[in-house]
Amino acid sequence: MNTLPVAIGLPYVPDWGQLRAFAPELWLIAAIVAVLLTPFFVKKPNAACGWVALVGLLAALVSVFVVGVDGTGEHFRGLMVADPVSVFWKGLLLMFVIGIVLMWFSTTAPTMHQGDGPEFFTLLLGATLGMSLMASTSNLLMLVIAVELASLPSYVLAGFRKTHLAGAEASLKYILFGAATSSIMVYGLSMLYGLYGTLQIDGPGGLAQQIATSGGSALLWMAIFSLIVGLGFKISAVPFHFWCPDVFEGASIEVSAFLSVASKGAGLVLLMRVMMSFASAQAYESTPLLNHLAVLLGVLGAITATVGNTAAFVQRNIKRLLAYSSIAHAGYMLCIVSLLVRGPAVKADLDLASTAAQVVLFYLAVYLFMNLGAFTVAGLIERETGTERIADYAGMGRRSPLMAFCLSACLFSLVGLPPFAGFVAKVNVFWALMQNGSWWWWLVGVIGVNTVLSLYYYVRVIKVMYLDDSSSAPIWPHPLGAGVAVVCAAILVFMLIAFGPINRLAGHYSHFYGVDQTTFTAEFSSSQPPP
Amino acid sequence: MHYSIVLLLAVPIVGAIVGALLPNARSAKWWALLVSVATALVGVWMAAQFDWNQDLSAVPTSDRLARSVQIAFTPGFDSPLHLQAIQFSFSLGVDSISLWLVLMTVLLMPVSILASFTYIKERQKEFYAWMQALLAFMLGVFVARDLLLFYVCFELTLIPMFFIIGIWGGSERRYAAGKFFLFTFSGSVFTLAVVIFLGLAAGSFDLATVTQYAQYDLTDSARFWVFMGLAAGMAVKVPLFPVHTWLPLAHTEAPTAGSVILAGVLLKLGAYGLLRLAVPMGLIGPAGLMFPTVVKALAVLCIIGVIYGALVAWVQQDIKKLVAYSSVSHLGFCVLGLVALNDYGMQGSVLYMVNHGLSTGAMFLVIGMIYERYHTRDIHQLSGLAKQMPIMSFFFVFFTLSSIGLPGLNGYVSEFLTILGAFTSEHLGIGYGIAAAVGIILGAIYMLHMVARVIFGPLKVPHVHEEEGHKPLSRDLNGREITVLVPLAIAVVLLGVLPTPVLNSVLEPVRMVRQPVTAPIVGPTAQSPAEVAMVQRP
Repeated sequence: MNTLPVAIGLPYVPDWGQLRAFAPELWLIAAIVAVLLTPFFVKKPNAACGWVALVGLLAALVSVFVVGVDGTGEHFRGLMVADPVSVFWKGLLLMFVIGIVLMWFSTTAPTMHQGDGPEFFTLLLGATLGMSLMASTSNLLMLVIAVELASLPSYVLAGFRKTHLAGAEASLKYILFGAATSSIMVYGLSMLYGLYGTLQIDGPGGLAQQIATSGGSALLWMAIFSLIVGLGFKISAVPFHFWCPDVFEGASIEVSAFLSVASKGAGLVLLMRVMMSFASAQAYESTPLLNHLAVLLGVLGAITATVGNTAAFVQRNIKRLLAYSSIAHAGYMLCIVSLLVRGPAVKADLDLASTAAQVVLFYLAVYLFMNLGAFTVAGLIERETGTERIADYAGMGRRSPLMAFCLSACLFSLVGLPPFAGFVAKVNVFWALMQNGSWWWWLVGVIGVNTVLSLYYYVRVIKVMYLDDSSSAPIWPHPLGAGVAVVCAAILVFMLIAFGPINRLAGHYSHFYGVDQTTFTAEFSSSQPPP
Repeated sequence: MHYSIVLLLAVPIVGAIVGALLPNARSAKWWALLVSVATALVGVWMAAQFDWNQDLSAVPTSDRLARSVQIAFTPGFDSPLHLQAIQFSFSLGVDSISLWLVLMTVLLMPVSILASFTYIKERQKEFYAWMQALLAFMLGVFVARDLLLFYVCFELTLIPMFFIIGIWGGSERRYAAGKFFLFTFSGSVFTLAVVIFLGLAAGSFDLATVTQYAQYDLTDSARFWVFMGLAAGMAVKVPLFPVHTWLPLAHTEAPTAGSVILAGVLLKLGAYGLLRLAVPMGLIGPAGLMFPTVVKALAVLCIIGVIYGALVAWVQQDIKKLVAYSSVSHLGFCVLGLVALNDYGMQGSVLYMVNHGLSTGAMFLVIGMIYERYHTRDIHQLSGLAKQMPIMSFFFVFFTLSSIGLPGLNGYVSEFLTILGAFTSEHLGIGYGIAAAVGIILGAIYMLHMVARVIFGPLKVPHVHEEEGHKPLSRDLNGREITVLVPLAIAVVLLGVLPTPVLNSVLEPVRMVRQPVTAPIVGPTAQSPAEVAMVQRP
């Protein structure tokens, strides 16, 4: 039972098979070391560090593809797990961070103080490492370490523009919020350990199983609440979202983009894993604990989406607007996570939990490209014109048709309009919620209304770009950044066309290790025709 | 497998992409004309392929609705166009109702592109590319045999129209475009929810399967919500009375071609959606929930729209706004005929969709031509144009009469039939008929009032400063403008004196949409009904 001394007390040498499953993380660590060494060999290390980081990230990405799901299982005495979900998330994350580095080259690189590069990339890669660890642990201790490893570099990154007052404020706000929420989380997790005497969440004798057999208690609820507080901060769920707009506004644009997807995604994957363990240990019975958890997450999601969308209405700054939009999207995804914790409630033959995981993974994949594209365009425009105000985007349809087109594509996709992948992502969300029926219908309604609300502010940006005229000179964006934006827009169209295969892929990768998940039933994902 | 119907969508889409990449504005506009004419030819080709005298009497009633679909394109199960994961299939097909609307659309598009040659002066390439994209999406709505495809196309029409109004519209274009987008989208989000629910519940998005499912297997509460969701999307698009406020603004602010397409085709999407989805699903009809209250409520909304639209049109100063309000009134007739749920009413309703597209489209074209010359549409600043522009005046009066419903021209037949439908309907009756007939009188009043002010009387035109860099237009209509109007005039006369082909061809389909099928189906059909229909055709 007492795994803590076991895990850290005895000499332990992991074998090759165990290390292999974590090749992406090892590459990241190697890249961090390489970035730190770079200034010893290069006089102007900023760009060089960027390239080193890029190579490290590419190597890590390749290793994700090479290793794949081979390493599925528990590793390092239960401290870490590798499974399809974590592989899928790592693939997404690394692709995304590569995009972020490319974005850095085309936006911030020229203005960054020479010599700051090594620190910047160390922090970026460190946060990335933390976020990929977040997706592959079901041990409380490792959970805390991963969350902190993801958070601490993020705090510094938020304030990395040293001469920038808003950046310092953002960083301070971020760190205060982060410190408060993570201390609450650690407090709650220590209660869990005190209650059940184990740090392992799943597996035999793990927390989830003990909770299932012993039932709930007030203390357990406090612990779960504090876990949700800690992860809610990472996801920026209301009411832990206050840092989000300020940090996005104060940080340089590639950091905002990084936090908007990577931080939220990692938090969601971790939340999914924990909830999945709970649900699976209760054998998806509709126990009061799970029902309450589902309602809690659903309500949290609904409130988050609504607050995000309504607050975005009045934003005049593109980064703040995207910040609130990212809060709203986190809300949609939380609504789906609420499906995870309740089993096949309505249709007994359907594994809803898997479906929900699949929907979230697909949504994350789409969301990644929508946000990367939108932020890239915003960054390029900021670099050329020095403005983040939406009103200054007037006439962008003429001044830079390509950028305006890419931003419009990403924004339409964020609304959920065809022909962009945001549409199928939203269809998926509706689909999964409706499959379960009952009170999830309310979430369908809430998301429907929210979609209409969101249309207003996204389209406002498009209106300014195409319908308002301005005499400002045309701008020529950095070709690399323009390339990233175009690729994002193209991928969004492609993901709509290739929705079937990509959705199936997300389906294949939506399995958690150690969680009793049956594979999809023919109704949802099989490719065989009906009889 | 018929590829003509795929070509119908592919030609304008490819045209839009190529058009956006053309080097200059001049080539872009001729290219757009070429593409729209080519699309029209594809449409005519489809009409030639279509079996107009399809005899379904030997087919069991449960299959008739599906079998009436011809020229079908149904991808196989292993085709990339068929997504088993969400049971979506890119399947297309037309019955006679869709085909008439397709024909109207492909007729209106070339003329509105031709009419834009001098009207659109800036960002021409973009304009023509959006027009072609719009054409593809509108046709997509009419030929879709898959519920999700229907919805996607329905929704996609918003984006081109948003830009067309917002970039090339009048002085309040930004507000108008935003309002148009928000209103329509707010309604259709709920339609999306219903579409997904139906697809999920029926196990397929195939229109025939979903329809049969909806008839038999929905619980009462599900029926209610499905009806509300569909009604929300369609009522805004039609538009029915309380949600019509986007329409006058959007029509007035849009450029001529935008108004023509908006009034001519986009409004029909709502009525078509009701006819294609709500009626056959039994949501509006004897099998529907709360029958006949729902139907009566819809009819009352239509009547309010008819009378209110007419009264508001009467007092307009802007002739374009007047015609826009007349659309609110006219679409009231159209939906009234639909909810009469009998042969006369529904045949009339389908014919009305086509007729309103032709006459109101033509009215907007003529008004656009006046505006291009005098830069005003104010009823007080224009008078006696007959003296200066006899040809224009002829067309103006001609289309006005068609719109009022002069016997011998197209409007008469459909207006008469919809009102006859209301009179003879089992659940509407004489009161609704009389109320609608009052709308006809009001229609004559406001239209003739406008004609009397603008065309006849002493000549009065505002002084116009010629724009620099543009050749001034001739005083009366030039050859291009006459070319624009003549095809519409011919169609108006043809449908006026010879409406029987349309009426006869839609008789069977409208009977089928309102007749419940006799047997419930179990699970998704093995072979798409459209495919069955195709195989068994002689």
